[in-house]
Amino acid sequence: MATIKLFGDLRPESGTTVLEFQGETVRALLAALMAKQPQLKTALFDGNELQPYVRIMINGHAIELADGLETAVSPTDQIAIFPPIAGG
Amino acid sequence: MEGWTGKILDINLSSGEIQTVPLDMEMARLFLGGRGLGIRLLWDLVGPEVEPLSPENVLIFATGPLTASGAQTSNRFSVTTKSPLTGTALDANSGGWWGMRFKRTGFDALIVRGKAAQPSLIEITPDGVAIRDANHLWGKTVLQTTAALDQNNNKRNVLCIGPAGENLSLMAAIMNDGHRSLARGGVGAVMGSKNLKAIVTVGTEKNKASDPDQFKFMLYETGKIIKQSPLTSKALPQFGTAVVMNVVNEIGALPTRNFQQSQFENAEAISGERMTQTILVKKQACWACPIACTRVTKTENMEGEGPEYESTWAFGAQCGIDDLELIAEANYLCNDLGLDTISTGNTIGCAMELTERGLLDADLRFGRADLLHDTIRDMAYRRGVGAELADGSYRLAEKYGVPELSMSAKKLELPAYDPRGMQGQGLLYATSNRGGCHMRGNMLGPEVLALPRLVDRFATQGKAGIVSVHQDTSAVVDSLVLCKFTNMAATEEHFARLLTSLSGRPFTAQDLSQVGERVWNLERLYNLREGFTMADDTLPDRLLNEPVAAGPSAGFTVKLAPMLKEYYEFRGWDENGVPTPEKLEELSLAEFALAPAV
Repeated sequence: MATIKLFGDLRPESGTTVLEFQGETVRALLAALMAKQPQLKTALFDGNELQPYVRIMINGHAIELADGLETAVSPTDQIAIFPPIAGG
Repeated sequence: MEGWTGKILDINLSSGEIQTVPLDMEMARLFLGGRGLGIRLLWDLVGPEVEPLSPENVLIFATGPLTASGAQTSNRFSVTTKSPLTGTALDANSGGWWGMRFKRTGFDALIVRGKAAQPSLIEITPDGVAIRDANHLWGKTVLQTTAALDQNNNKRNVLCIGPAGENLSLMAAIMNDGHRSLARGGVGAVMGSKNLKAIVTVGTEKNKASDPDQFKFMLYETGKIIKQSPLTSKALPQFGTAVVMNVVNEIGALPTRNFQQSQFENAEAISGERMTQTILVKKQACWACPIACTRVTKTENMEGEGPEYESTWAFGAQCGIDDLELIAEANYLCNDLGLDTISTGNTIGCAMELTERGLLDADLRFGRADLLHDTIRDMAYRRGVGAELADGSYRLAEKYGVPELSMSAKKLELPAYDPRGMQGQGLLYATSNRGGCHMRGNMLGPEVLALPRLVDRFATQGKAGIVSVHQDTSAVVDSLVLCKFTNMAATEEHFARLLTSLSGRPFTAQDLSQVGERVWNLERLYNLREGFTMADDTLPDRLLNEPVAAGPSAGFTVKLAPMLKEYYEFRGWDENGVPTPEKLEELSLAEFALAPAV
C-alpha cells in the first residue's frame, strides 16, 4: 500500500491527512483517493489533467520529471500532494 | 505628482541642514525608484573609503513611481546604504503604510547623511520638515517608540529602530508601522550610528494618473489577474508564506540544525497549516494590497504579526526547535527589538553548532527552546553570549576559528532553502549582490513550485539564464516598488502599461527588463569598486563539499563552478565576473566602467 500525504486545503477539516491506497500508477492512486474523498476531484483535476500548480511528488521527487500521472508507484512509496501554494 | 514628485529631501544630521533637491528625471527613467534609484544615488554618495557605520555613510529611503498610486501593493519602499554586515551595496524593502505616507509628503526619496549630536528624530509633515530631540525615546523598543510617536496607519506613520539598532548590532533592522521590517544587512545599525531613532511622516498629496481612465482600467485588470491566480487569491491569504514549509521539507531542501541536515523531522509542527489551526487570529493586508498574506497571531502570552516562513524556519528547523508558540514569540521579540529574524535565527543555529562542537562555552544546543527568547534579548542589548552573536554568524564563527560554519554568503546569513537540493538557488545565493538572499530572485518557483514551469532542481546546465532573469525581475519590481507576490500573477508587460498610464511616459516590458538588468549590473559594479571579486561569489564549504546525508537530496552538493561560469557568460561579464564594456554600453552604464586593476 502506497502512502498519500495531503497538504494545504486538500486536507479534510477533520480526519487523517495520511492515507494508504493500492495502485500501480499515480493516476490509479488518485482515482482510489477520489473514490474515497470525491470532494478532491475538482481541486486536483480539470478533466483528465491536473489543475495548474497542483504539485505531486513521489518520495520528494516531482512526477513531471518522471512519467507524470503514469509514473509507476511501489507499495513503499510516499506520495505528497500539494494544492497551489506560494510563499517563502 | 504623476508617478514622480521630482523632489528629493536631503538631510544632514551633522549640520542640521535640510534641503530639497530636484530628482534628475533621466535618472528616474533609467532607474525608476526604490532600489534602482537607491543604488544610483549611493554610487555617487558613498565610495570605497567610507566605513559603513561612519557619518559619511548615507541612508537613502526611496519610493517608486507606483508608490501611493493605489495600484495593487503600491505601499512599498526601500532603504539603500553600504552594509555594515557585508560591506556590499545593500537595499532592504518593506510594506505596510509608511512608504505610501512618505510619498504623499511630496518627495520621491529621502537622503540622510551625517550623525546627529544626540538622539534625534525626523518629522516630515505638511507643516514642514524638522529634526527633533529623541532623547526620551532612546532605549525604547519599537512598539513603545511607535506608540509614543502616535502611529496611525491612516494618517501618521512611524519608522524607527529598536535597541538592536541603538546598540549597532550588525543584524539590526529598521521597523515601520510597528511590525513591518526593512530587515537585512544591518540597516538598523547604520541608522543607530547616526543617532537617528525615528522618522515620522504625515502626507496627503496624491499620486495622480496622467491618464486616469487607462490607469483605472489597469487597476481593474490587475485586480482581475490577482483574483484569477490561485496563488495570490487563495494560497497566500489562506495559509500565509509558511505554507511552503512542508513542500520544502518534502523535497529535502529545508536546512536543519545549521544546514547539517536538509529535512526537519518536525516540520509539520511549524508549518503554515499548523499555524492556521493553532495561533492564527486573522489575516491582514498592507495598504492597497488585495492579497493579505500577513498573519496576525496570538500565543498564550503574546500577540503580534507573523511569523513568516523564513522566520519560522530560522527559529525552528535551523535551531532544531518545534514549538510554534515559542517561535512566534521569538518573531515578535525580534520585531520589537528591531532585529532581522533570518540573521538572528541563523546565527543562533550557528552558535548551537559551535557549542555542540565544544568551541563555544554556552548552554545553547539544538532544541533548547527555553533559551531562545533570552538569547534574542541578549543579542539586541549585547549582553553575555548575545554580545558575541550580535554581529552575525560569520564574525562569530570566525572568532572561534571556523568561519566555514557560518551559513552565509558574503557574510549575509542564508535563508530557508538548502541549495544542495535546489542547485539554482545555490547560484542565486552566491551571486546575490547583497549576499545570501531569497529576495533577489527565488528559485523556489521554477525548481519546486513549477512557477512558471518546472525545471530539474538537481540540474546545473541552463540555470544561469533562469537565475539571471529572476534576479533582474526582482530588481525591477523592487524599483517600481511593488510586492514580489504581485509578480506571481502579473508580468512586466502589465507593469509597463500600469506605469505608462500613471506617469504619461512610455515604458515597454523591454524597458523594464532592461532597468532590472541595469540595476543588477550597477550593484555589481559597486561591489567590485568596494574590492569584491569573483572569489566572493561562493557558498559555505558545507554546501559545496558535504553531500546531504539522507532524504530526497541525499548525495548532492552544490555544483557551483559550472553554473558560475555559465552565469558570467549569460550576464555578458568577463571570466572574472566583471561586466564588459559592451554590456555597460548596452545598459547605458558606460560612465560607470571601473578602471582596470593595476
